[in-house]
Amino acid sequence: MHGHLKYLTNALPIGCLLAAGLLLQGCLTPYESRHENQWDAREQIWMSEASQVKLRAAQSRIFDMTDRRTLLKAILSTMQDLNFQLEVLDEELGIVSGKYFAPLERPEYGYDPLYHLYDDQSLLVFSKTYLSWGPFWHRNDVVRLTVTVRPRNEKQLVVRASAQFYLRAVEDPEPYQKFFRSLEQALFLENTLAQDSQAVQPITP
Amino acid sequence: MEHKQPVWIALLLTWGLLLQACAPPQPGPDLLAPTAAQMKLRSYQSRSFEVTDPSQAMRGVVAALQDLGFIIERANEPMGLVTAARFAEPNYTDVMGITVTVRPQTEGHMMIRANAIYNNKPIEDPKVYQNFFATLERSLFISKE
Repeated sequence: MHGHLKYLTNALPIGCLLAAGLLLQGCLTPYESRHENQWDAREQIWMSEASQVKLRAAQSRIFDMTDRRTLLKAILSTMQDLNFQLEVLDEELGIVSGKYFAPLERPEYGYDPLYHLYDDQSLLVFSKTYLSWGPFWHRNDVVRLTVTVRPRNEKQLVVRASAQFYLRAVEDPEPYQKFFRSLEQALFLENTLAQDSQAVQPITP
Repeated sequence: MEHKQPVWIALLLTWGLLLQACAPPQPGPDLLAPTAAQMKLRSYQSRSFEVTDPSQAMRGVVAALQDLGFIIERANEPMGLVTAARFAEPNYTDVMGITVTVRPQTEGHMMIRANAIYNNKPIEDPKVYQNFFATLERSLFISKE
């Protein structure tokens, strides 16, 4: 018993030193170590854990209106409220996409100028000789959102939002519920904005 | 043999820490919800202008952004959207992005809203928006003449 205690006291300083070293350094490879490598396209397909029907129901909301343009404008306003940077806007197809950076992680060692070099056009490359995280090399806090608007019937439109966080699809219904609540408010504002000009005092240029 | 035990304990401790430190963050329920600060920011970001023609307002916005040294990324007139970006002075490794929307308000008025993002962090200083709207005011005044 006494011997065990002796070894434990010997081990503690070594463990503490190693732990302190690791804590100071954080993860050795912070980004890569937090993600499972996907070596096969099939893995990506099976990544969705929730039922597809359930997920689609959480991501979609029906609006009793036919004016696509007003709805798209309200989506733009909502995304502006959330500080999204808009990347894609196609009125004909009814698609709006954007990204924002959740303030989760920052460069650990002082200033990293490469942190701002986020290239959303580049692809992930996994070959035998070259492994790359492509656009996500320096960024791991990106939140991406795609919102689509399509007609449901003659009187209704369906809005579907799909978000991605940390390279994975957001499957929790709560963020979507909050997004649609904001969208409904934006839509209400969009409709009343045209009627109420007295809310903001105009400035004559 | 017994001397190896402390090493194993140390290794186990390290492994435990490594696992804990490297867990991926989970998306919070407020991932797609605006914060109270963002709603407050909205009032600084919006201003109403006395312009009748939406396309004139759009051209005014584009010209104001050009005056400020921005490169226009996309401009969509039917949706009233302009996005632009520039490198921020004096440090040219910093990037500044802006999204501007133009909405008809009432007869003869346009609501213009600007969102500025500095290095992917939203700008919350009202002065920045005041400066932008002052430039826009001048730009609209020039195009009117």
